[in-house]
Amino acid sequence: MNAVGFAWRSLVRQPARAMLGVLGVAAVGALLLDMLLLSQGLIVSMRDLLDRSGWDIRVSVREIPGRGGRVPAASETAARIAALPSVKATLIVRIANARIERDGGPYIAATFEGVSGRSNRGAPITAPWTVLRGRDARGADEVVIDEAIAKTANLDVGGTVTLRASCVADLEALPPAHLRVTGIAEFPFAVTNEDGIGGSLDALEAACGGNVGDEADLLLVTSTGESRETAAAIRAAVPGLFAMTNDEVVGRLQQTGFTYFRQISAVLTTVTVSFAVLLISVLLTVSVNQRLGEVAALRALGFSRSRVVKDVLSESALIVGLGGLISLPLGLLLASGLDRILKGMPGIPADLHFFVFEGTALATHVGLLAATAIIAALYPMRIVSSLPIAATLRDEVIG
Amino acid sequence: MSDVIVDARSVGRSFAMPAGPVHAVRDVTLQVRAGDHIAVRGPSGCGKSTLLHMLGCVDAPSSGTLLFDGQDVSQLSDARRSALRLRRIGFIFQRFFLLPMLTAAENVELPLSEAGAARRDRQQRTKSLLEYVGLAARADHRPSQLSGGEMQRVAIARALANNPQLLLADEPTGELDEATGAQIALLLDRVNADGTALVIVTHDSTLADRAARVLMMRDGRIEREATR
Amino acid sequence: MILRTLVFLLVLAGSVTTAQEAARAPAHDVLISRQLATEQGLSVGSLVRLATDATGTGARTFRVAGIYEPTPDPARLGTVPREVRMHLPDLLDVTRPPGALAGTEYIANINVALADPADATAFARDVNARMPGVIARPSSEAAGSAGPFRVLERFHLAIAVVTIVAATVFLLALTIMLVDERRETVGILRLIGLPARRVLVQVLIEGVIVASAGAAFGLVLALLSESLINAFFQWRYDTALVFVRITRDVALTSTAIAVPLGAAATVLASWALLRRSGLRLARR
Repeated sequence: MNAVGFAWRSLVRQPARAMLGVLGVAAVGALLLDMLLLSQGLIVSMRDLLDRSGWDIRVSVREIPGRGGRVPAASETAARIAALPSVKATLIVRIANARIERDGGPYIAATFEGVSGRSNRGAPITAPWTVLRGRDARGADEVVIDEAIAKTANLDVGGTVTLRASCVADLEALPPAHLRVTGIAEFPFAVTNEDGIGGSLDALEAACGGNVGDEADLLLVTSTGESRETAAAIRAAVPGLFAMTNDEVVGRLQQTGFTYFRQISAVLTTVTVSFAVLLISVLLTVSVNQRLGEVAALRALGFSRSRVVKDVLSESALIVGLGGLISLPLGLLLASGLDRILKGMPGIPADLHFFVFEGTALATHVGLLAATAIIAALYPMRIVSSLPIAATLRDEVIG
Repeated sequence: MSDVIVDARSVGRSFAMPAGPVHAVRDVTLQVRAGDHIAVRGPSGCGKSTLLHMLGCVDAPSSGTLLFDGQDVSQLSDARRSALRLRRIGFIFQRFFLLPMLTAAENVELPLSEAGAARRDRQQRTKSLLEYVGLAARADHRPSQLSGGEMQRVAIARALANNPQLLLADEPTGELDEATGAQIALLLDRVNADGTALVIVTHDSTLADRAARVLMMRDGRIEREATR
Repeated sequence: MILRTLVFLLVLAGSVTTAQEAARAPAHDVLISRQLATEQGLSVGSLVRLATDATGTGARTFRVAGIYEPTPDPARLGTVPREVRMHLPDLLDVTRPPGALAGTEYIANINVALADPADATAFARDVNARMPGVIARPSSEAAGSAGPFRVLERFHLAIAVVTIVAATVFLLALTIMLVDERRETVGILRLIGLPARRVLVQVLIEGVIVASAGAAFGLVLALLSESLINAFFQWRYDTALVFVRITRDVALTSTAIAVPLGAAATVLASWALLRRSGLRLARR
């Protein structure tokens, strides 16, 4: 019987104890997996969100776009950027608060994104939303709305939405604008519980009663070649603005807003692994101490030191291995629950996830569990390897 | 070719204690030859078990020289001593020390498996050993399902698994009643008659009287030796 | 005019330069954050030129009258607070767009300290009623800024629940093992006539003592960790924020969970053992 078979028989000898040990590892392993998913989850998710948008450079007055301040003389700025040889397309994005009126009900608060694009050499211009049904809004009287607005306001493609938008200040008393819904869209950067409307800058101007001004909240750019070089060229062309590639935005977020989650993930990973090592070590040590007589007898019968050590290590590996297997589905289930909790944070795009499954996280998880199994077994291995055979046999008889 | 299996020359064993060293075995000279049947007797604490452990390479002497098959045991590594115990020496304990989660057959098979025997050979040998001790029908029973005498017979089968030259028994009937003890004594006689040298530490006079040589120990020394 | 509001934390990254010569007009005073002072090598008395434009257009010269420690803002963890505080007229002067008339600016917030803080809700209601277009709310209801932390609280609670579940499972495994070690003793006690209930009470008392000792040890460990974690993160982020705080409620809740759990685990493990006969337990 090899060491693993022997370890298995030792475990099933006390099924309740073994099962509890495995379940304990499963719970701890699930938490460990989630912390590993969290450590890079936001970064991976944000990068994916940015890359999916189809734009690789963001230009604004702040390092992190969307935190206040507008790009002045947006049209001229966009034109200067578009004139750069490495720029494929630019998009002016202006955001305003809007109120959608409903018959017999309170208004629906929403965010109106008005865009105006310019492309070189026929490159496509992607709106910062994805049309699910119908078609994109093109004219000054056309908009796309999200599913939530469509449901709440009982609207669909072809319908008319009545809204007022504030482009300058929140306290403007403006006439309502009647715009045609050409499509139902998804707004990946819309925050949770925030409804989205999209259309051209002209449509936004109509909704704001003409008070848009030549400003942009954000300029989006796609480049023909290396985005980093294009961003540098933009910075040179329009000093005073921040031109950041998707990687740079993610990098900056990693240093600021996301840093808390990386830190908490590191702290909890350390605590979880230490916890697991301690508990498994105690479990194994108590188990070994209860079997010292048997171990001494096996040594007397000719089992080598390395063999009895391997038995203990195999037992640890079995407990951690089985628990680790169970921890995977458990961890993913837990992650979805934790993700739901954290997505309740205000200001977080609805499509952003905190926990993202990645191969490297799984590999790290497996590695950490393997290390846990080994480290936890060190002390009990030492007990069996340094066991004084004769003294133990004597003690067993006396005891 | 010498038939001396174990050659103990003035071996002693001391244990350091807070109140001062305890000399469990002092200056014992003893030879165990092939086919010997030796009983070691004496009052509690006279060093019988300690001597047995040294003969079985479970413990190393603090003084003197112990040769097993001509090799100085103190010069051997732990791995070599383990190999020696696995293939050349068999041990039987007062408390049996069968592994409770294994069946009788699996307990017997353990040393064979550890010695690297092929599966078929292991199974065959296990079967014949269980037949030898009269427990072929109980092969699949766990120790908790066996009586004391049956457990000790399984332990004897296990000790004989790798066909050792020497079988060491520490109070093999200590936890058994008289009748069962007698059965074990008969079995041990048979083992010895089949060629295995036997050294038994025992308080049981019935068991001791069957031995060809009886060593009386007192205060760690062999006080006298009687030969039958 | 002393600036009452604490809200103007104007971050002018990249726009601060140290002037070598005195301004032609006497420089007005500003306060700068410690981090900005360290980064730019400024001290009390330094002259700085502040502008809202990275090119420095329209810069004004100010004198550093003091260096302050910014109030730690959890929402801005990780960012270096390069902050300047100035009198409101100076701020309006610096930030006014060229050509704009003075008096057309607006401020975003006004913080009000009441003589009696308990009046906050009534005061806010009064202001909202008298001044349409102005939103007044007590600080305790500023859910916009506290929202993320309520979410984090739920997140931490979820983590704590999982940790407690894992710990309980392990605890059960360990108590089963430890109780099993004493099976012979328990068997003998039963054989000599002690009823199972008596043994269980004994076990319960032991369980409460051990669990209480464990809880106390855990609290000491938590307090030690609190200092370490706070020290580390305060160093890491150069902030005075407190990240972990063991309050009386936290300590009491932890103890209220740990002690019954520990005692219950011991009793449960013993109960399973006591269901067997004394003879079986005492038999080796």
